[in-house]
Amino acid sequence: MSTRDLVLTALFAAIIVALGLLPPITLGFIPVPITAQSLGVMMAGVVLGARRGAIAVLIVLALVAAGQPVLSGGRGGLAIFASPSAGFLIGWIFAAFVTGYLSERLVNHQQSGLVQGVSFFLAAVIGCIAVLYAFGITYLATAGGMGFQKAFVGSMAFIPGDVIKAFVAALLGRAVMVGYPLLPARA
Amino acid sequence: MDIRFEGAGVSFGARVALEPLTLGISGKRIGVIGLNGSGKTTFARLINGLTKPSVGRVTVNGRDMADEKAAAPDVGFIFQSPQNQIILPIVRDDIAFGLKRRGFTKTEIEAKVDGVLARFGAQALADRRAHELSGGELQVAALCSVLATGPSILILDEPTNQLDLKNRALVEKIITGLPESAIVITHDLDLVADFERVLLFHEGRLAADAPAAEAIARYREIAA
Amino acid sequence: MQSLYVEGNSAMHRLSPRVKLLSLAIFSVVLFISTDIALLSIAMLLAAVVYGIVGLPLRDALRRLRPVFLTIAVVAFFNLIFNPWHDAVVTLLRLTTLMLLAAAVTATTTITQFIDEVTALARPLERTGWVQPDDIGLSLGLVLRFVPEVIDRYQAIREAHRARGLKVRPTTVLAPLIILTLRDADNIAAAIDARRIRRHVS
Repeated sequence: MSTRDLVLTALFAAIIVALGLLPPITLGFIPVPITAQSLGVMMAGVVLGARRGAIAVLIVLALVAAGQPVLSGGRGGLAIFASPSAGFLIGWIFAAFVTGYLSERLVNHQQSGLVQGVSFFLAAVIGCIAVLYAFGITYLATAGGMGFQKAFVGSMAFIPGDVIKAFVAALLGRAVMVGYPLLPARA
Repeated sequence: MDIRFEGAGVSFGARVALEPLTLGISGKRIGVIGLNGSGKTTFARLINGLTKPSVGRVTVNGRDMADEKAAAPDVGFIFQSPQNQIILPIVRDDIAFGLKRRGFTKTEIEAKVDGVLARFGAQALADRRAHELSGGELQVAALCSVLATGPSILILDEPTNQLDLKNRALVEKIITGLPESAIVITHDLDLVADFERVLLFHEGRLAADAPAAEAIARYREIAA
Repeated sequence: MQSLYVEGNSAMHRLSPRVKLLSLAIFSVVLFISTDIALLSIAMLLAAVVYGIVGLPLRDALRRLRPVFLTIAVVAFFNLIFNPWHDAVVTLLRLTTLMLLAAAVTATTTITQFIDEVTALARPLERTGWVQPDDIGLSLGLVLRFVPEVIDRYQAIREAHRARGLKVRPTTVLAPLIILTLRDADNIAAAIDARRIRRHVS
């Protein structure tokens, strides 16, 4: 991995950590503040692409495992991975990867802003919702002992919030691409 | 030091950053001046191997800087942004990190860290967090990190650019007292005003190679 | 950013990090294989003892576990209602035991020890060229180094918003935050490469 890529992933991991430490940000169109850390994971894929995005998330989880309270709410330590919801955490790695992969494939500079935005939205939904929830629900159902049906139903409540985040991620992805395009990943 | 440029030039695609250059550099203090984009930073980065020549060759003390296997840190490099050079949270750890995997024991590393800090009277910085340091303190810490591995040549790329007056004076004093050979790239002409040799770059070419007063005068002509 | 490590000299502190981490891994596997409620109950009590000797005051010790235990308890509650009670209790005991052991390891292992262990673990992979073990410590160190800078930058962007009477919104704040932070990557990478900190790098 080039030094530049290593630094990019570490800096993005720092952004994800910072987003966990900062207070939630309010969206304009609904009066609900969003905790931005999971948005940060979406952005890792959207901005850095598959490999670097996944590694950025991996670095964050490594910090959690090393005993740093970097998850939103000041959570951290190895005990976090004993939670039934740990699948959503490990799933972040794959979610960022898939979001990044789709972002790399679907988006290019020739497209209009609208097309880029829609592509990023799709990438975020497929990666950071579909794939993420697959991991999260599977772990909840098996290690958490809930069974797939209950685990699935129990997790659905969080989907609307994540769809809104995916929308924000799409807008942000477009804005960042204009200012500092990193896709497609340079060798 | 013995630095040789043998027809060394750099192009990025169609853009020529540095025209092929042939010259030798030795001595204790060399100044490098020129407008932004004149090629002076490219020139400096060829010396420490950060940039590889598109044509020709650069050797430092007999070693070809383009050769990855041979390239060893004979040449230290200080950048202009104080914050972006210290890469670990605590200064002591940052200095020690550069000494890793060179076959030193833990005790030897600690001794080297303390030793290099003592050179600048900066022992107080050892356990400080980089985030809390001023620009000048960060540049001193960066100097310690770079000098800990014992390079004989130090390149400083606009070291005072982002510093206030007090910190600028501090860095100037440090440069004057360095036993290592120093190549100083700068817009701050006072820094190099008494150097025995100053190189002036303009549009990718060497426009002057002379004692400070003459090179600076030529620079003023060009810049006018 | 405070670490979760707790200063002390308990038996857990004196165990080597490698032993603790390996034991945790092995116990995790054993816990997931076991379905005997009696055995798991004993395991949980022992885990509680292990966590207890770490040296945290009771209130802090419990507060640390609250987020994880809350989730375990809620899930256990639902399991008890909808699923066979045996499985629900097994899951509850199993995850709680794991939580206690993991928390004990975290509280008695410094981040440096953790990084050193993971780096040593990755050392055999160095030859494959897949991962550079020393990059692990470098990456984690870089994050800890620059998180405060990212936060400062965020505050600066927010203040700039206020000065111009703009509302703070994700799109107007996070985009500059990401762009400005990532723009530093080239300079930081140059400084790292100039110091020849990484081997086998193009």
